[in-house]
Amino acid sequence: MEQQSPYKPKNKIRIVTAASLFDGHDAAINIMRRIIQATGVEVIHLGHDRSVEEVVNCAIQEDAQAIAMTSYQGGHTEYFKYMYDLLNEKGAGHIKIFGGGGGVILPEEIKELMDYGIDRIYSPDDGREMGLQGMINDMIKRVDNEVPCLKESDKVKENLKNKNVNTISRLISLAENRHEEFNKYFDKDAIDTGDTPVLGITGTGGSGKSSLVDELVRRFLMDFPDKHIGIVSVDPSKKKTGGALLGDRIRMNSINHERVYMRSLATRQANLALSKYVAEAVDVLKAANYDLIILETSGIGQSDTEILDHSDVSLYVMTPEFGAATQLEKIDMLDFADLVAINKFDKRGAQDALRDVKKQYQRNHQLWHADAETLPVFGTIASQFNDP
Amino acid sequence: MDRVEEKTKSGLTSTFEISKEMSEKIFVIPPKRTRYLSEIAENNRAYDDKARSQVEVAQRLYGIYKTIETVAGIKTEFGNDQQKYLSKNGIDQDEIYEIAEDSQADFLKLLFAEFDKTKMDLDPYNWEVILGWNEKVTKYREPVYSFKVRDKEIKIDTHTESLSHTQIPKVALPKYKAWGDILGWCLQENVPGEFPYTAGLYPFKRTGEDPTRMFAGEGGPERTNRRFHYVSKGLPAKRLSTAFDSVTLYGNDPDHRPDIYGKIGNSGVSICCLDDAKKLYSGFDLADAMTSVSMTINGPAPMLLGFFMNAAIDQNCEKYIRENGLEDEVEAKLKELYDNNDIARPVYRGELPEGNDGLGLMLLGLTGDQVLPKDVYEKIKAETINVVRGTVQADILKEDQAQNTCIFSTEFALRLMGDVQEYFIEEKVRNFYSVSISGYHIAEAGANPITQLAFTLANGFTYVEYYLSRGMDINKFGPNLSFFFSNGVDPEYAVIGRVARRIWSKALKNKYGANSRAQMLKYHIQTSGRSLHAQEIDFNDIRTTLQALYAIYDNCNSLHTNAYDEAITTPTEASVRRAMAIQLIINKELGLAKNENPIQGSFIIEELTDLVEEAVLTEFDRITERGGVLGAMETMYQRGKIQEESLYYETLKHNGDYPIIGVNTFLSSTGSPTVTPGEVIRATEEEKEHQITTLETLHKAKESKAEASLEKIKKAAVNNANLFEELMEATKVCSLGQITHALFEVGGQYRRNM
Repeated sequence: MEQQSPYKPKNKIRIVTAASLFDGHDAAINIMRRIIQATGVEVIHLGHDRSVEEVVNCAIQEDAQAIAMTSYQGGHTEYFKYMYDLLNEKGAGHIKIFGGGGGVILPEEIKELMDYGIDRIYSPDDGREMGLQGMINDMIKRVDNEVPCLKESDKVKENLKNKNVNTISRLISLAENRHEEFNKYFDKDAIDTGDTPVLGITGTGGSGKSSLVDELVRRFLMDFPDKHIGIVSVDPSKKKTGGALLGDRIRMNSINHERVYMRSLATRQANLALSKYVAEAVDVLKAANYDLIILETSGIGQSDTEILDHSDVSLYVMTPEFGAATQLEKIDMLDFADLVAINKFDKRGAQDALRDVKKQYQRNHQLWHADAETLPVFGTIASQFNDP
Repeated sequence: MDRVEEKTKSGLTSTFEISKEMSEKIFVIPPKRTRYLSEIAENNRAYDDKARSQVEVAQRLYGIYKTIETVAGIKTEFGNDQQKYLSKNGIDQDEIYEIAEDSQADFLKLLFAEFDKTKMDLDPYNWEVILGWNEKVTKYREPVYSFKVRDKEIKIDTHTESLSHTQIPKVALPKYKAWGDILGWCLQENVPGEFPYTAGLYPFKRTGEDPTRMFAGEGGPERTNRRFHYVSKGLPAKRLSTAFDSVTLYGNDPDHRPDIYGKIGNSGVSICCLDDAKKLYSGFDLADAMTSVSMTINGPAPMLLGFFMNAAIDQNCEKYIRENGLEDEVEAKLKELYDNNDIARPVYRGELPEGNDGLGLMLLGLTGDQVLPKDVYEKIKAETINVVRGTVQADILKEDQAQNTCIFSTEFALRLMGDVQEYFIEEKVRNFYSVSISGYHIAEAGANPITQLAFTLANGFTYVEYYLSRGMDINKFGPNLSFFFSNGVDPEYAVIGRVARRIWSKALKNKYGANSRAQMLKYHIQTSGRSLHAQEIDFNDIRTTLQALYAIYDNCNSLHTNAYDEAITTPTEASVRRAMAIQLIINKELGLAKNENPIQGSFIIEELTDLVEEAVLTEFDRITERGGVLGAMETMYQRGKIQEESLYYETLKHNGDYPIIGVNTFLSSTGSPTVTPGEVIRATEEEKEHQITTLETLHKAKESKAEASLEKIKKAAVNNANLFEELMEATKVCSLGQITHALFEVGGQYRRNM
């Protein structure tokens, strides 16, 4: 089979990928999502064992053009049909559904599903004929459309006040893709953006920011039974392909909750930890009266402090593995962060790291006489359930 | 949170108490034990080095002794007892001086001195091995061999007779003469049943019980029960192996919600409560020594184990009720709880299959303790759990490494496993394996045989370390551990059992000081599912036959042979029968298999064993470098390696460098197309509805009790009490999903990895 070259999408495309509920077979979807990313798509990856509701809610919050699923554990007919129905019920019938499941999904079932409205189920024969890239190209061509505008009839202001997820999501997409349209519907001066506090979370790549956010959200929901939380999470775009892996959701268990809205953004620009449209996204959530907004950046280097422009309180997440203590002197965020978390506190040398960071914090803030105990530097293990 | 409030005055004042306490790692493996795998590797290598040097010493002694014989003019005829002049203390010098000519006395004296000096380097234990060799050989030559299993004397015929009237020995011994060779063989090979158990765990295989397991799991419990009775019809040993549907595997209840509904009873049986378990195993006496049940379940294993144990207890209660004529009380209780509340009594739906006498169904909807006095019930309970036989997979480490049916956070899942094991020790559950440490899924995910073995043994040692850190006695939990490997066609699979037993026993004996029962690694083999292909599916049985042969020659303790059509569909009754026939033909017809150590003494088998053993120890060192099994999991070392090896195989298969007959070479005139299944077995609407009805009945009938029980579980979890004790109670009144969700609240849900 000759090597197929990747299709070049004309628009910025976002696709949600996952494996079906009670289904641990994630090898295929992992291969697929990598090819989708390499084809220049922003992929919001959920991993295995995801219910229809989780996937649909995610797709709507993320305003994705499509969902790509694998199902190897049976029950696919019910699963895909339910997904189609639920998307329509939630006013998101425009989100297309693609799927695959090797030989598990029989040819007559493929036909039944596609007749029902599923956009395409790829069979092993399709794979042999088209190749992997060919299948991905086919899928992306089918969804390569411009982000649709809000309808005139949509009562943006009212919808925002009611925390209408579809409206919130679309507004953020318009901000990202069609800024003049966004301005048309979202007049900053006319819309009250309130004074919702924004907690900015930043830190080095792989320091466990997402797990930490997940734990914060879980506790917030328990602590405040009637408050709503909004999350904006940024991951880097690849310079070469324009694609991105928006992978923060995979680590999170507590966000599938009616009081949580989460939106993943790709940076869409090189060398920056935030998207250009982060301010707009935060404003939209503020206008929707969320009680707390968490803004999570992509992994940063020693000198990034962009987060400060967008947040009221900033939390810098790092791990005990920062190298020699002198490295700390170079980290700008230690000058500005309100709080510092040393995550993965189970790693070797964590206690030493805590002491060094505290010292550095003391120096940076000229807190010579402060008791080290009271400094806002904490050791955390976000991966450990119910960690203090 | 306070800082947010301070800066923004947003009115978000937390009600949480802030504890001053710092995050502290709750260690699964204590810090000073993190090098455990390398310590095991060092320990085993030290054993091998010692063995090598002892062999050298023994060989020298033999040389000197032979010289003495020659000098003294002692003639050893063939078959003569050369040990006449040897004793515990060495050589009987006086007797030899007497025989020898006087002129040789000085020379002999020198030789004796050299002998004694050399013998100082020989471990006295090894001298005994050399002295005892002839006796050992004789024991196996005599027609009947007797040995002890758990204080019971067992007598076994040592030979079988072929049609040609040849006496075929069950265990054939080497014809070595030289002491070094004998010692070397005893230290690294030895006869079956003796350390290091390379050739097998017991002196002889069980008679009357082939290592065959009958695998089933489809639709509702009734359908699977019928299948169990069908496949075990006429067999004295009922060895049932249960596959659960994915709803159960992920710890959930059946539901009308479509994404759940579609999966009820597909590719496994739907079991969500005690009544389901009772129906599933009805007609099999779970307390009988010839019944053994294995359950392929991991995340929710403790709950399923609770269902199983309670089903077995209630079977024995049922027997007691019948013996004492208490049926009326059962009837009255059912009336009180069901009829009077307008709830339909739970029933076994449809006809009982042939062979099912209905045992276990009397108490559907009830538990023995609702009918019998407390003391009677407790006594029956204690007796039952002491005798039930079986295995629950419950191997959470391989789930995270390969299979993905994790539901709880890894730490919490480990704690549950530890609680089950602790309960087993306290309540003397001796015949049930609390875990089946599985390499099968690691191999199915693409790992090669060495990686399969290394990761699996490493996982096994991790459980050992964790249980030890909880203060459990190795001699008590060691025998509750079992293993599960895949057998493919790679050469290493010929020795996978030999290497596993050897590594395990050397470590358990010398590193952990365990007794012989705990040193024995018992394992189940399933032939490789990945080696079944969707093209030319008839060829699959040939592959399975070869793999089964590997397994039987390697003395596996239990074996499952796959059906040839499993690559494309759920196997049919006919294909399952053929798969069973593979085992039966090898065990009953194949003449060489009457011998129980047919591969011992083969140069290549010995060479392969050494190579694989060293490769596994090297992998142990690599895992140690990454912080042990749990440390390596954090950086997804195991997953990465498995994927890499999978890709290697796929690449070679794709470009034809790895020939597969009927798949990438030797194609038929039509090109050996992929076979699509004519019909697929799926659960019927009726079965699914029945499962939901069973669940609803349970919820209605036991609502108040269930809630109290769930509260108790959560409390036990927070107070670090043994959760399995509570689960044994909760599984009487709660459904699987109820318990899982209660545990999520206190134990944390699994966090997926990329």
